[in-house]
Amino acid sequence: MLYSGLIASAEHGLNRVLRLDGTALPRLARLAGKVIEVDCLMPAMKLFILPSGEGLMLASQWAAPADCVLQAPASSLVQLVVSQDKPAVLHSPQVDLSGDSGVLLELVGVLQDLELDWEYELQRWLGPVASQLISGHLRRDASWVRKGIASLNQNMAEYLAEETRTLVGKHEAEARFAELDELKVDVERLEARLERLVRSLNSSDNA
Amino acid sequence: MTDQRKASDAEPTTHFGYKNVPESKKAEKVAEVFHSVAAKYDLMNDVLSGGMHRLWKRFAIELSGVRSGNRVLDIAGGTGDLTRKFSNLVGSTGEVVLADINESMLKVGRDRLLDLGVAGNVRFVQADAEKLPFPDNYFDCVTIAFGLRNVTHKEDAIASMLRVLKPGGRLLVLEFSKPTNKLMSKVYDAYSFAFMPLAGKLITNDSESYRYLAESIRMHPDQETLKAMMVQAGFDRVTYHNMTSGIVALHRGIKP
Repeated sequence: MLYSGLIASAEHGLNRVLRLDGTALPRLARLAGKVIEVDCLMPAMKLFILPSGEGLMLASQWAAPADCVLQAPASSLVQLVVSQDKPAVLHSPQVDLSGDSGVLLELVGVLQDLELDWEYELQRWLGPVASQLISGHLRRDASWVRKGIASLNQNMAEYLAEETRTLVGKHEAEARFAELDELKVDVERLEARLERLVRSLNSSDNA
Repeated sequence: MTDQRKASDAEPTTHFGYKNVPESKKAEKVAEVFHSVAAKYDLMNDVLSGGMHRLWKRFAIELSGVRSGNRVLDIAGGTGDLTRKFSNLVGSTGEVVLADINESMLKVGRDRLLDLGVAGNVRFVQADAEKLPFPDNYFDCVTIAFGLRNVTHKEDAIASMLRVLKPGGRLLVLEFSKPTNKLMSKVYDAYSFAFMPLAGKLITNDSESYRYLAESIRMHPDQETLKAMMVQAGFDRVTYHNMTSGIVALHRGIKP
């Protein structure tokens, strides 16, 4: 019952988030009737996912066979959620996928493409004027924080490179890297030339 | 089994809570109870069970194995909690029938589901569980959640459910049962007979209906008895799952 309660809470929260994206539910409606079984090997745990036009239904068990079964350790499941290259994770040796993998990939795609309209949700609770004021403030604050972090990074880099000379400056480092690259190419050229000379010497000895 | 059909000159009697009433009066009295509580049924369910009824119903849905295109009958469907979920699961090619003998409950359920946008694959039918107005071998799954204890002739209702199920179809009976733990049983008794009527009085101004609820739970067959009734009716592979220490049990049987 405790696990069911946790799953029910997760389902409720997830569906509220899904409703914030105008395209997620219509895309999930196309998967209605499909059952995806996620079988976590370590720790041992099963979860059934049933998409529909109302969101996702999560279940700890399902009496009918699943359309797609994904078996993997928890680490691979987390990787599947966060990774951009999902097919690569699905083809890794720890992951076992059987059934209709298209259903799973479509579901993962829906979750990855989520663009949540937080402002709309805020507006539902607080009204248009208050939500506009709050979101305007939040946007300005977020922009200030982003600029602040960029400025801090730049100042820190300049201080370490120019004033304390703890680190090499960017331009100086780039010049050294360019010299190293040139040296590497010169060495490769010399190596090729020596090989050619050795080959010509060997051929004249044989003659 | 629990219906006391007395062979005498007078009309046979059955229980209505702890009282004995003529069989013909039980449906009427149950109807009065549900007419009285229909408007605040969902609120009372949440208050009295602390929200647990939602988890019990989730478990029933998980064991139903309902799929896209299935036909489902939700008997005593009341305010439509199960019907709503089933409607999603069966999709546009399936069908869900919400049946309830009580007009008020059916009306509340229908209005609630329509307000939630649940339509298209759902039908609402006022029907008696003992005489289901559907063809033989019609449904893939039949459920009755917290309704069987109010039925006058439970054996007849179970036989009727068997008739309308397709071979291989599932019957799920979600109902209050007997706690398996003695301490829990004592706590539950105190809760049922002290708190439930009081909450009924405060919220719906009707303590009698909730006294009936507590009494009818005690008069309902326990887990093994209900299982035997389902086997006797002709169900195969009958199993039950206790929830919350047996306060509620989910019985599942397959039509052979």
